[in-house]
Amino acid sequence: MSGMRGLSVFISDIRNCQNKEAERLRVDKELGNIRTCFKNDKGLTPYKKKKYVWKMLYIHMLGYDVDFGHMEAVSLISAPKYPEKQVGYIVTSCLLNENHDFLRLAINAVRNDIIGRNETYQCLALTLVGNIGGREFAESLAPDVQKLLLQASCKEKAALCLLRLFRKNPDVVNADGWADRMAQLLDERDLGVLTSSMSLLVSLVSNDYEGYSSCLPKCVKILERLARNQDVPQEYTYYGIPSPWLQVKTMRALQYFPTIEDPSTRRSLFEVLQRILMGTDVVKNVNKNNASHAVLFEALSLVMHLNAEKEMMSQCVALLGKFISVREPNIRYLGLENMTRMLMITDAQDIIKKHQPQIITSLKDPDISIRRRALDLLYGMCDVSNAKGIVEELLQYLSTAEFSMREELSLKAAILAEKFAPDLSWYVDVILQLIDNAEILLPYAASKVREYMDKIAIHETMVKVSAYILGEYGHLLARRPGCSARELFGILHEKLPTVSSPTIPLLLSTYAKLLMHAQPPDIELQKQIWNVFKKYESSIDVEIQQRAVEYFELTYLVEDVEDTADQSAIKLRAQQLPSNALVLADPQPVNGTPPPLKLDHESASQTQSQPNGDLSKAQSQIPSADLVGEMVDSLAIEAPPVDMGSHQRVYREEDGIPDEVDGTAIVPIGDQANKVEPIGNITERFNALCLKDSGVLYEDPYIQIGVKAEWRGHHGRLVLFLGNKVTSPLTSVQALIQPPAHLKLELSLVPDTIPPRAQVQCPLEVMNIRPSRDVAVLDFSYKFGTSMVSAKLRLPAVLNKFLQPLQLTSEEFFPQWRSLSGPPLKLQEVVRGVRPLSLPEMENLFNSFRVTICPGLDPNPNNLVASTTFYSENTRPMLCLARIETDPADRTQLRLTVASGDSTLTFELKEFIKEQLIAIPMGSRALVPAVPVPAAPLAQPPSPAVDANDPGAMLAGLL
Amino acid sequence: MIKAVMMMNTQGKPRLAKFYDFLPVEKQQELIRSVFSVLSSRPENVSNFLEIDSLFGPDSRLVYKHYATLYFVLVFDGSENELAMLDLIQVLVETLDKCFSNVCELDIVFNYSKMHTVLDEIVFGGQVLETRSDEIMKAVEEISKLEAASNSISLVPKSVSGWRGGR
Repeated sequence: MSGMRGLSVFISDIRNCQNKEAERLRVDKELGNIRTCFKNDKGLTPYKKKKYVWKMLYIHMLGYDVDFGHMEAVSLISAPKYPEKQVGYIVTSCLLNENHDFLRLAINAVRNDIIGRNETYQCLALTLVGNIGGREFAESLAPDVQKLLLQASCKEKAALCLLRLFRKNPDVVNADGWADRMAQLLDERDLGVLTSSMSLLVSLVSNDYEGYSSCLPKCVKILERLARNQDVPQEYTYYGIPSPWLQVKTMRALQYFPTIEDPSTRRSLFEVLQRILMGTDVVKNVNKNNASHAVLFEALSLVMHLNAEKEMMSQCVALLGKFISVREPNIRYLGLENMTRMLMITDAQDIIKKHQPQIITSLKDPDISIRRRALDLLYGMCDVSNAKGIVEELLQYLSTAEFSMREELSLKAAILAEKFAPDLSWYVDVILQLIDNAEILLPYAASKVREYMDKIAIHETMVKVSAYILGEYGHLLARRPGCSARELFGILHEKLPTVSSPTIPLLLSTYAKLLMHAQPPDIELQKQIWNVFKKYESSIDVEIQQRAVEYFELTYLVEDVEDTADQSAIKLRAQQLPSNALVLADPQPVNGTPPPLKLDHESASQTQSQPNGDLSKAQSQIPSADLVGEMVDSLAIEAPPVDMGSHQRVYREEDGIPDEVDGTAIVPIGDQANKVEPIGNITERFNALCLKDSGVLYEDPYIQIGVKAEWRGHHGRLVLFLGNKVTSPLTSVQALIQPPAHLKLELSLVPDTIPPRAQVQCPLEVMNIRPSRDVAVLDFSYKFGTSMVSAKLRLPAVLNKFLQPLQLTSEEFFPQWRSLSGPPLKLQEVVRGVRPLSLPEMENLFNSFRVTICPGLDPNPNNLVASTTFYSENTRPMLCLARIETDPADRTQLRLTVASGDSTLTFELKEFIKEQLIAIPMGSRALVPAVPVPAAPLAQPPSPAVDANDPGAMLAGLL
Repeated sequence: MIKAVMMMNTQGKPRLAKFYDFLPVEKQQELIRSVFSVLSSRPENVSNFLEIDSLFGPDSRLVYKHYATLYFVLVFDGSENELAMLDLIQVLVETLDKCFSNVCELDIVFNYSKMHTVLDEIVFGGQVLETRSDEIMKAVEEISKLEAASNSISLVPKSVSGWRGGR
């Protein structure tokens, strides 16, 4: 069985495969071969059959589906001779599962082996049933297996087999009829049989202990025998410990009984437990240590469960206190875990508190498993007396904790702070620190609040909080079900009739925010919200009225501006212009009376509450700047940018530009007159760079940033060329990279100052870890004179850069294509709204992002198939296949199928291709290769004339 | 109950994988990959425990041991004792060491079928069956004898039929 040459040859072939693709080809070949052999050659020797079966299992382990041979396997079970029978059993138990139809066919043959006389066959049959037997097996075989368990042979296997059947159908073992025989089994002397029987008992009593009390004293006897090492054969001692597995199982079984009533049994048990607690020492041999502590920890659990006398309990806590400070990490881990369980026991808390400093040290353990246990324990042991200390420790840890723990950590700190705050000011401090720390918590907070909103009755304060949070961060959930802007609006608006009038303005603010955040803009939502605003325009409450009027105007204006500029919000957003125009409104005279330039809150209310009728029509009415300013602080972050040049509005002199900077905008702080505008469209520059390897990433009157990149496999090297275009130095230059989780980025040092007319090169090393469409952002800033300029620039280290073109022949393509069957490895989608491209144009597009079209492979001339290889550290080189089925009658739709050996990769690549195909503005320029197209003239100030000696211009030429 | 036994090398290649509750093959692969990615990022000299609720559902635990180029992994539910499971890995390794005298990764790669036989003698349907290495060896030899007898009938050259052959 070990010496199957065919199997060894196959395994070494697989080992010699250079990549996953070669492996797949080899596997396909082998499966084809096996299939033919099974089909044609009825006279296969058992040896050959077995060889094929092991190959199939090996292939299965490598992750390939083996979906044939099931019938053959099942039929072999009833073969008369051992070798064939054995093959049948092995392959059936590995390739089939309990839900498989074929398995039903085997029940009779298996039963025959179980009730037959041949012990070897019995073992084979029991192994099969014990591993994959299902409900039907349970019903037909349980009585036979029970009978077998009481005979001489195969007792261990029969016990475990019965356990499996019981798990599948608890009705097949009835305590009334079985308890006595179970107890009888525990009288066995053989420790092997006892181990299996004890597992069976644990399973039975974990379901329902009633009826099995006769087993209790027997368990205690077994434990006594082992703990005192009486009559334990040498081969059952493991590193000097009498079968730790049986000891542990026995104590586990005892924990499923609520108490032990019989006083003498209870006394003997406590004696044994005492012995275990006292008699275990930490020794040098790791294996011995593990074994003895397995028993010790189980004993601790049992003592806790039995709620022993106080003295024994404090002994346990003392032991645990010792454990959490030992060197051996496993013991530390279990010490912390058990201490957490100990918290459930009254009186124990105070003793545990004494160990607080040691537990806090564990929060800094190099092992994350231990840190998590320490966190759980600290959370559990926290009360009014120690909350301050613990929460502050958690906060301190938060700043250094790894990503995967932060959410839980923040949440726990927040809950503790709320529950045990000694005073309110401390609570506020804690929460502020948390929010400060936790951008990642925002979507979480929003989703939690969203959940709350589903409850039927919620407190008005909760409505306020929810409204605020959903307004601010609701859009972060937009992709989740039930969280679109429209749905959020619906659920909030339901609450409106139930709230008091001070809450209504808050809800109106939220509506305005939802509307502004909605991506893509939702006309229907807009209509609904405008209706609400209109309704409240004549509210008797001035605060409500004012907000309604203002928000209506505000959202209307945005719409208006977009219409004039003939650009959709998404387009504007894509161009990433500053979005602060909203505040720069000029208050227009109402009723012919010019209001004071700077309105304070009260006067605004007055002026606006008078002309009720006019306001709803007055489109030129601009909201009072103070109030809007208040709101825009939050709106500006995500609001669709508004073009200023196209509309006659005047900058308010006092508060020209808010401090809030749009995510991607360039805004000089302070000096408004010298506002620095980028030259050219940043988004289009980025898009162009996604398809080529050198070009200009960003340019403004002072600086030009060029990029040149080389890509090899999952590595890339980008050089950033920072060129100072003017005759004075640029200072405080800073370049920070915000890497997405899937890229490793290393930027070399960027000098603080770029001398006049000089160019600085900064190499950036990129490594791709896994497929993702997230984009790295370069946070770039510098100072020119007194104005600070900053820009957030997406870096063209995008998914397609890690593709290597690869053209396949049909012999290579189709087997791969077929072997990737269905989701998640193969995904299909009908894409609508595709920008119409002729087939050659589409071929060019695909080739431009390195997904190579394989001409002539698809018999239908309207279809394209393509292939490429993706490189990342996690996936290794991975073949990706794609098929595009176009509709000659309607070029705006097509069916896209993408397949690869990695489900994430398939998904990301499909989305990527979709992005490229759909007619959004950023895509429409994708094919224009050379110079980035100047942006819409409306949005741009005239570019300064470029000097021929300008290093920036020279750089552009070079690239 | 033990939910899965996995062996993989330090490059993440599975060497042996057995799941005691049915899972589709893609899911198995995904779990092997995720477990490996966590294991490979763990430093030396830390505990042998991993929190894996996110992968295997609540109340599941994982212990592992790292020997030379191999990871041995056991996944199980709350009815088992962690340290006892760690001991079981030790039993498995010691048994393999006896089987192959100084076991190394290549032995495990090329004796794929024997690995299964050994494992089946130790763990049965997700429960501990046998913990004595010598008994395990005996059972394995028994099975090979039965097979050897049948192989000679089917005229397979001796060199590949012996229970220790082919190494």
